[in-house]
Amino acid sequence: MTFWWLAIKDLQIVVRDKKAFLTLIMMPLLLIAILGAAFGDVMKQDDDVTIEKFTLGIANLDKGQLSTVLTDEVFTKALSKQIKVKYYDENGLREKIKDHTLSVGIIIPANFTASMMSGSESKVKLLTVPDPGIKATIVQTVIEQFSNSISIEVFATQLAQPVNAGNQTSVFQPKPSSDEITQPLIKETTINAKTKPVESFQYYAAAMGVMFLLMTVVQGVTTMILEKEQAVYNRLLLTKLTFTQYLTGKMIGLIIISLAQAFLIILGTKLLFGVDWGPSLSGIALMTVGFVFNACGLGILAGSFIKTEKAFSVAGMFATQIMAAVGGSMVPLYLFPDWVISITKFLPNGLALQTYLDLMSGATFSEILPAIAGSVGLGLMFFAIGLIRLSLERRGRYA
Amino acid sequence: MNMLTVGELRKSFGVIAAVNGVSFAVEKGESFGLLGPNGAGKSTIINMITGLFPPTSGAVHMKDIDVIKNTKQAQKLIGVVPQEIALYQSMSARENLKFWGRMYDLSGSTLEKSVDEVLEIIGLTERAKDKVETFSGGMKRRVNIGAAILHRPELLIMDEPTVGIDPQSRNHILETVKRLNSEGMTIIYTSHYMEEVEYLCERIGIIDHGELIALGTLHELRETIGDHSKIVLSLDNKTSNHEIIPQTLTGHFLEKDIQLNDNQLIIFHKDPQFILSDLIQSVTSTGTKVTSVDIIEPNLESVFLHLTGRSLRD
Repeated sequence: MTFWWLAIKDLQIVVRDKKAFLTLIMMPLLLIAILGAAFGDVMKQDDDVTIEKFTLGIANLDKGQLSTVLTDEVFTKALSKQIKVKYYDENGLREKIKDHTLSVGIIIPANFTASMMSGSESKVKLLTVPDPGIKATIVQTVIEQFSNSISIEVFATQLAQPVNAGNQTSVFQPKPSSDEITQPLIKETTINAKTKPVESFQYYAAAMGVMFLLMTVVQGVTTMILEKEQAVYNRLLLTKLTFTQYLTGKMIGLIIISLAQAFLIILGTKLLFGVDWGPSLSGIALMTVGFVFNACGLGILAGSFIKTEKAFSVAGMFATQIMAAVGGSMVPLYLFPDWVISITKFLPNGLALQTYLDLMSGATFSEILPAIAGSVGLGLMFFAIGLIRLSLERRGRYA
Repeated sequence: MNMLTVGELRKSFGVIAAVNGVSFAVEKGESFGLLGPNGAGKSTIINMITGLFPPTSGAVHMKDIDVIKNTKQAQKLIGVVPQEIALYQSMSARENLKFWGRMYDLSGSTLEKSVDEVLEIIGLTERAKDKVETFSGGMKRRVNIGAAILHRPELLIMDEPTVGIDPQSRNHILETVKRLNSEGMTIIYTSHYMEEVEYLCERIGIIDHGELIALGTLHELRETIGDHSKIVLSLDNKTSNHEIIPQTLTGHFLEKDIQLNDNQLIIFHKDPQFILSDLIQSVTSTGTKVTSVDIIEPNLESVFLHLTGRSLRD
């Protein structure tokens, strides 16, 4: 159990380091406060935001006239500048939303045209990721407007029939009561029925948390490279400690430090800004472990190729900033095109942020298990490649 | 009984042979020195002896343990003082020693006792609670040694342990090594400071370009140059052509005992007092003015110079 002492020693060093405390705990809280307040209005006042073109997934089970008008005329042609339409079957669409390849999708039920024409109930399902931003609102509004216009037309046709069935536009002014004719066309649903929208403070609490956790990992790997440079690593390998135990000890230390940091950020944001991290604390904790494992693996892989602490510090800082920017820590994810969001899931921080947002939206532990498994899997792969690289280096190293 | 046996040790990095067929043995309780200039291959040999990385070929045995096959078993017997300060700077001396003790599987009262003893040996009991980063270079070196002797190793390997420190700390370290050796600990001491090796080591191996070029006691090594002293004549560079001086002297001295380096004439001779006046006379007869004369008793520096034609610090 020698590796435990290595982990404890690393903890001791971090706890005493006031600079590290300020950087890893105080800075994220400060940035969450600034960014949460600054982007709060943007996230609320969606009308003022310039909307990037986005992809809407459609599963049309109806194939009738009205659904074709909605999909082809309204979404595909009339809104072609704002929306790109892609067609899927129902399961395909659910999968795309579930793995965040698409942000918004609709399922038009099989009896849509018939129901609408007869004035009976028909529910179009709107599927979204937990943080779709304004995209979902746009789609919802369009469908509502469409349904209202159809309802009016149906009502007008019914009233006019005894006199002139063909004259639909000239007849009727009063809007029918909703009880009478208009049926609830929209039922907003997501993969999780309990989904709640994510607010700006929630978003930035997760985003900054992830970014600073990433910085902690970079710092941890930097320390490892420094130990290598300063011969402490070689000295450790001359003791009872084996190479694998060394890496295990380092990893455990880093995971404990990161969990403590995550806990302080969660607690701090909850107490200071009232941020709701969702009901699954175990999900947050395990995702943090998965994320740290993933990021550590990536760090060790990078560290196995970079020789000096100085070079790694520069590369690490650069990579952290790029990953943070692409992974949604600086600008909200929903402002990115869908393909960027898909790619970011292969970044440790991107996957972690999306999972934290899912948890905040009410996702259950079992729903985020694939993300945790993915994180650990990617981490293991990076770790294995790094280990092979380090092992080859040790065999051929020059003293 | 041999504490360490090294046989035909080789380490190549591509086409470069960093260590080329080095063989030697160190007896239990012996103090053995490895002397050589920077980059000679001393640290590479140490790293292979300690099992830090495997040799390209050759064998290393610690007592009867094959270091290459049973590295961790052999490492229990060794304490290594690396050339660098391999400590945690933000931790105190005591905390560092406790940590390194734990890495050697010490715990509880055994660990506490060992840490107290080592602090006493390295003379830092009073400063035990201070962070290493507040220490002078010499004090850090002493903690560096302390971390290697906590588990009372049978063989202590010290790789240039006095680089860049003040004379007082150097003396303390040398005395500590003497003390440990007198208590029965086998020592392997590498340095490019010949005075330290001369003072500490019973036997010395001289390494150059990855090869062991000489091995023996100090007396035996001196014998290889015939116990000759070195006479250094500084020549006035404004006078005559110095190139003709060696020719003038070949009648009186062997050609291998005469070296002319810029404005210095170096002569090796067993009895410098006896030939000095004749030597000066011969040199001045060429029209060259002698500005100073130094006589250096034979030491490891002169042995190395004699064997390689270079100074240890070149």
